[in-house]
Order: sequence, then structure tokens, then C-alpha cells
Amino acid sequence: MMPLERLLIEFLLNFLTREELNALLRSPQNTATLIGGLIAVSGALLGVFLLLRGLSLTSDAISHTALLGIVVAFLLMTGVFGLEGDTSSPWLILGASLAGVGTVLLTEMLYRSGLLRQDAALGLAFPLLFAIAVILVSRFVDDVHLDEDAVLVGEIGLAWANTNSHCFDHCQSVTVTEDHPAARMTRQCLNCRALGINPRDSRAEFVEVCGNCGDYSPAQAWSAGLLEREPALVFFPKSITVTLVMALLSLAFTLVFYKELKLATFDAALAKALGFRPAVMHYALMILVSLVAVGAFDAVGSILVIAFFIIPPAAAYLLTDRLALMLLLSPLIGALGAIFGYDLARGQLFSLLPVASGIAFINQLFGLDLIEDWDSSISASMVLMIFALFLLAWVFSPRYGLIAGALRRANSRRRFADQVVLAHIHNHQTTPQAATELRADTLHLHFRWTPRRMTTVLARLRALGWIRIVDGGAVLNERGEDQVYRFRRTMLEARNMPDSG
Amino acid sequence: MTARAAISRDDRRVWLIIAAIALVSLLIIPFSQALFGLRFTYTVRVVALGGSFLGLISGALGCFAVLRRESLLGDALSHAALPGVAIAFLLAGRELSPLLIGAGIASWLSLRFVAALLATTRLKQDAALGIVLASWFAAGIALLAYIQSIPDASQAGLDHFIFGQAAAIIESDVRLVMGVGLIILCLLALLWKEFKLVTFDAEFAGANGIRIGLINTLLSTLIVVTIVLGLQLAGVILMVGMLIAPGVAARQWTHKLDQMVILAAVFGAFSGGVGAVISALDSDIPTGPTIIVVAFALVLLSLALAPGRGLLWSRLRQRSNRRAFAARNTLRNLYRYALAHGAVNAPVPDSFIRGVGDRGAALGLRELDGAGHVRLGEGGWRLSQSGVKLARRDIHNQQLWDTYRLYAHELALPNVAEDREREIASLLPAEAVAILEAKLAEGAAP
Repeated sequence: MMPLERLLIEFLLNFLTREELNALLRSPQNTATLIGGLIAVSGALLGVFLLLRGLSLTSDAISHTALLGIVVAFLLMTGVFGLEGDTSSPWLILGASLAGVGTVLLTEMLYRSGLLRQDAALGLAFPLLFAIAVILVSRFVDDVHLDEDAVLVGEIGLAWANTNSHCFDHCQSVTVTEDHPAARMTRQCLNCRALGINPRDSRAEFVEVCGNCGDYSPAQAWSAGLLEREPALVFFPKSITVTLVMALLSLAFTLVFYKELKLATFDAALAKALGFRPAVMHYALMILVSLVAVGAFDAVGSILVIAFFIIPPAAAYLLTDRLALMLLLSPLIGALGAIFGYDLARGQLFSLLPVASGIAFINQLFGLDLIEDWDSSISASMVLMIFALFLLAWVFSPRYGLIAGALRRANSRRRFADQVVLAHIHNHQTTPQAATELRADTLHLHFRWTPRRMTTVLARLRALGWIRIVDGGAVLNERGEDQVYRFRRTMLEARNMPDSG
Repeated sequence: MTARAAISRDDRRVWLIIAAIALVSLLIIPFSQALFGLRFTYTVRVVALGGSFLGLISGALGCFAVLRRESLLGDALSHAALPGVAIAFLLAGRELSPLLIGAGIASWLSLRFVAALLATTRLKQDAALGIVLASWFAAGIALLAYIQSIPDASQAGLDHFIFGQAAAIIESDVRLVMGVGLIILCLLALLWKEFKLVTFDAEFAGANGIRIGLINTLLSTLIVVTIVLGLQLAGVILMVGMLIAPGVAARQWTHKLDQMVILAAVFGAFSGGVGAVISALDSDIPTGPTIIVVAFALVLLSLALAPGRGLLWSRLRQRSNRRAFAARNTLRNLYRYALAHGAVNAPVPDSFIRGVGDRGAALGLRELDGAGHVRLGEGGWRLSQSGVKLARRDIHNQQLWDTYRLYAHELALPNVAEDREREIASLLPAEAVAILEAKLAEGAAP
């Protein structure tokens, strides 16, 4: 990761001065938004294919069982290979991704037995693996920092503080030894504790110990005051690198295998017949999903990460039918959610409305005295904002939205009313009863409509020029007759059509 | 008549299995006390009782979730309880019943939201569940973070409510589970017919005047109540397994809903009790996960052993099919070779039969030899008297099938599906077989 970060920083330094870059990265807002956005982009891209394949909840299963992989890898590292138990080791990430793939394999194995259905297979596999992980944790892992809060929520708000330092100029590593002028020597009693005596006791033996000896990287040396000139340092948050790599991997995967993924998603049989190996695509997708889920673990926690996989693609799915457009919209929605989410966590809804006034309103309404200071979880707020965007898409989508649907239904209701009234006039206007049947002020009785509804329909038909009122009775115009014939023709055609339901 | 007898025999077997497991799970605590010398404290007994009763209810209701392909509903609903818990805490403080009610309301709302999404969009169930799960849970987390920022709120351990802490269960909790559980079971018994119909054939149910929407909502509400009751003991994720594992296991043993539900309840109670007892062996073993592992072990056992359906049985069936097939092919090869070389009992060289019959030949020869239809003598394999008889009968049967295929229409014979593994005489009436025999005797066979 380090050389990659260096490359990236060097690239950025073409546009910014070092001080500006450091200031940018040191702001919690920028870092958190960037990390959230990157997770949203990678999750939203892969999530599109999960959604289209009906595998959305597989991401849920994978993110839960990642815990098993982490625990097993940790136990192997400390117990078998005798390594130090470092919770940010790449082996843990590897273990977690393997566990994700293992979940998928276990699910498919159960499902292939033909004895239970897919949802049941998934619902059995991941609670089991999760249960095993919990048992292992409480049985064998005592002191490790597998904090419940970190698993749930992540620490995206603190990501800016966890950095790698990169030095670009005046780089000087310092090794402090006992004879270094800066070395701090202290006297330590060797046998005080063993003998249980006071250091002032005459039997005490002393030894000189160096309090600050060791190797100092340029950044450490500067902060310890060992250097005279400040080295040119850039502090780069580690999570940005991880999430950036995930986002680039997902993007590259989607772009390079676009055709294969599309074919394998919509017509796996054809893909297989054409030699595209949909199974390979499937497992590659699952491995990437595991990697992204694990990479996002630190930042947003294991449960909230699935929001980034599921909600943006679902919103995009309501907006468009085209895969390419969906792949464009979905990361956009995710990233927007991440940006607004940070504001929400800091008390601003869509950068417009302070949450505090909302709480004040609730307090007033219910007579409560809740604290009006809203300072909440960043990752959860990001998810909430993504959800808000989904709601917007659901309501306002031009084709599949609630409003569009309501308008469409109202429109067809109107067309139907027009047509039956026209047909009624057509059927009766040449009969002897025409005078009684077609009187405009009693016409509503024949339909059992309210007078008002009939008035509206008649007014519309007159405005369209399809009927006219002669002596209080409705008469079809030429264009009205045309409408009736056209309507009849479509009805006949519909009846003659083979039933394709 | 025989089919009915077979069904009732199957029925009896399933009831016996149910009774046996029920007996074992009833005896677990006293038995393990006597056998392993375990001294169960009051706490362990309370947890075991709570666990098995919860297993009983969730097993029974979980059957419907499994059958309706809503296994993952539990996952979404249990996560969705969190904001309800948080809001209830904000409004009413740390009392058990408001927290439970808040949890129930929140998951019930999430359920309605899923239904609305499914009704008005083209999203599929998995996506709808995922959306609700993530966003409700996020709302809960955001509220919890807000609660934590309130000074001196006694919020510590509020998330344990969602993630389960079996050890913290007290007798009143168990009494609550039992009380509510009894109500749920009564409702299940009262509305049995409606639940059954809506689960298997909703349209038929609707046509018979059952209000599908109402029954569906009621069933899902019962599932929500069960989940909320179980959260404290098992936690969110494990509740998913608790809900469906007994149902999946029970499904393997029976085709009848009543047996499935009772068996699942028994399985659930068994895993709840056994899980609690195992976790009592060592303070480092958490209860909820242990219950899940026991339940999954039951699923694996059922998948492997369930009569007729299980993997072991289908493996055995496959094996006997393969043997019968190899034996038949080998017999035909032997018979043809012998006929072509003079007599039905002419010796057939071992190399020939193995060469022709490929890998099945060895298996077939072993089968035939074992049944006494062939024996290895000088010059190779010879068919015995019984072998010749069997081969002739097989050839004759195949010829009858050939004739049937060619002339069934012309001779106006009854229609049967062609199955050359079986004797045609066992499928067609005697007079039809006689007609076929006559046609075959005319020399009609190809």
C-alpha cells in the first residue's frame, strides 16, 4: 500500500501545495466523506449485479461471516504461526474474504442438495458461521480488540487520525542510542520489586536505562524534536488507500468484464453456450464483494456496509432500464448519500435544515425534553441519506415512481370514462329512445355516476370536440365517431390477440 | 389401498420420531444431571427453560416462513427492531415492556414497508428486505449514538438487547416468553386452516372467502412477536437461524404440515434445551450461538438421514439403480454372445465381456454371480439355467415394448408411458398383453 500512496500523493502534489494537502486530509469531514464515497462507489457498482441476480442478501451474509474469517485467521496467526496478533494484518483481510466465499459455497452446497430452497440455504449458512465465530471469540480470544461497536458502526469519523506518514524532503531517520545527546537516561532499580524494598534502601542496585532509544522515522523524529529542519511530510489516512483500491478494483472489474457480466447476469445459459464461463464471473463477483465488505469493515461496520451494496442499485433500478445507466446512477446515488450523510451526522439535513429544530419541534409536540444537540454516527447517517435518496427515487421516478404510477392510473381511468360515454352515445343516438337516454342532465343515472363526474367527462369530451350538446342531448361529432371506431378496433384486436399473459 | 397403508405407516413412523425426540428433550436436564454429574444452577435451568420454549415457538412459526420462501424475513425484521428500542428508550426509559413494544412496532412497520415496496415496484423480495434491514438498522444506530451523547442516560447495554445476552435472562423474562408463546400457539391452532391455505394456495384461499391480506399480516405479526421475544436470548443474527433451522430439518421427515410444525417445535425445543445445557459446561461458551450450532446439527442429520428424501437414502437408491443397470446390460451382452456362438450356455471369454461392458461389466458380473445367474468356468463365463431364463424374459419384454411402440395406436391399446426398465405386463392389462404377444408371434418385431 505504501508505494501506491506515495504515487498518489506525488500526483496530488502537482495540483496542491503540501500544506494544502495536509490540511485537506486532516479535516475529518473531507476524509470521512471521501471514504464513504469510495465505499459507496465500489458497493454500488457490484451491488447492481447482485440486485439483478437476486443475490442482494448474499452481501449481508458475506459481511456477517467475515467475522469468522477474521477470527480464524487471527487464531492461526497467533496460535500456529506464532505471529503477533495484529488486527490490521492483511492475513485477516484474506481470511475474511475466504470466509465470504466459503459462505457462498456452503449456501450453494446446501441448495444443490435439492432438499431446501435458496433463501433457506442462505438463512441457515450465515447464522451458523456467525455462531461459530462468536463461540470461537468468547472461547479463545480474550484480549483482542474485536470491539462490538467497531463491528457495528465502524470508525469513519476517526479515519483521518489513523495515517501513514510520507516524507518528501529533508528526510532524515534518526537512531537514538545511549550516547546520543538527546537520549534520556534514567536510573532503574533492578531488585527492588524482587526484594520488596524501597529504592532508598542500601541493598538496592541500580542500572542506567535509556528511556527513548530506538529508530525514529522522519515523522516521529520531528515530533520528538530530534530534527532541526522540518521534513516535508504528508500524512495520509490508511482507510482512504484501502477504500480507494477497492473502488478501483470494482471499477476495473465492471469495465473490463462489462460484456461478460451483462451476459452472465441476464442469460447465464447463453453465456455458457458462448463459452463465457458465467460461473467464473459469479465467483469473481463474490470474491470482490467479500473484499469490499471486509475493506469497509473498519470504516462503516459489518451491518451498515450492506446498505451500500443494496440501496443505491435499488434506487437506480427504479430510475432506468438500461444497465449502463444503472451502473452510472447507482454509484452517484451512493456518493451523494455519503456527502449528505456527513452533514446529517453533524446536525444538518441536506445542508439545509438543522436537525436540532426538528428535535425542538418534537419536544414541543410531545412535551419531552430531549437534548437538541444532534451529534450522531456518521456511517449510519450516510445510510439514512442513501435511503432518503431511494425514497425520492421511489416517489418521483418518471417511469416506476409512485407519482408516475398514480398519474398513469388516473389517465387510464379518464380514458375509460371517455370511451364508455362515447360508446353509450354511439349505441343510442340512432334509436327511438335517444331523446331520453342521451339527455345531458340525466346521463349520469345510466352509469350510476355522480352528476359531477358526468359533467366533468362531458365537458372534457366537448372541449376535445368529440361531442356537442343539441337541445340538452349529447350528439357525437365526426371526430367522436372516429374515436368510437378506433376504440372498437383496438378492442377487437385485443380480443383476437393470442393470450400472452 | 396399499398406497394408503404405506402412507399411514409413514405417518406412524414420523409420529414415533416426534415422540422420541420430545421425550429426549424433556429428559435432557435431569438426564445430564445424573449422567455427567452436572450441578445445574438456578440460572442454567431458567436459561434452558427459556431457550427450549423459545425454540418451540420459533420452530413452529418458522415452518411457515420456510414454506413461504420468506426465510430471510427474520433477518430483516430482527435488525429492524433496533430503532424501536432506541425510541422506546428515549420516551419511556429502561423498562422491559416498552422496549419490547417499541421493537415490535419498528419491525412491524418495516414489514409493512417491505410489502409496500413489493406491491408498487419491481424490486424483488431480497432487495426489499435488504433495503429495510439496512436503513432501519442505520436509523437505530444513529439514535443509539444520539442517546450515547446524552449525559447520564443509563443507556449502557442497550445494544445487548438486540445482540442477545442469554446469561442476563431472568425468570420473569421466561414467564413472559411462555405467556406470549402460549397465546401464539393458541392462535396458530385456532387459525390453522386459514394459515395452511394461505401458505400453500393463496388464490384458492381467497376464492373461499379467507381474507388473504389479513391472514398474511397476522402470520407475519406473530413471527415479529416471536423474533422480538427471542432477541434478548439469541440476538439478531442467531434468531434467523433459530427461526428457520428447525423448520428446514422437520421438512425433511414429512410431507404433512401438521407433522412438520410439531416436529419443528420439538426440534426447536431440543436445540434450545441442549444448547443451554452445553453452554453451561463452560462459562466461555455463549448460549445463543450454541443453540444455533445444535439446531444446524439437527438440519445436517435430517438432510442426511431423512427416510426417502435424505442424501443417504438417495445415495443408496442410486447405488442399487447402478447395480441393476450394470447387471442387466452385462446379462444382455453375455446372452447375445452365447447365442452367436452356438448355444445359450456357450462360454463367453472374460476379456470380451469386460471389453464390451466397460466399467459396468465388473459390477454386473459380480451382481449376476452373486445371484447365481452366471458362473466362471473353463473358457469363460457361462449362463446358468436361471440366467438364461432371466435373459430370455428380458429380451421378450424388450420385444414386447418394441411392438407396443410400433403398433399401440393401430391395435388401439391403452396408453402407458414407456418405461423399459419395467415389465410391460405389469403396466398393461392382460388382454392387451395377449394382443401384443400375438402380434409379436406374427413376426412383427423389428
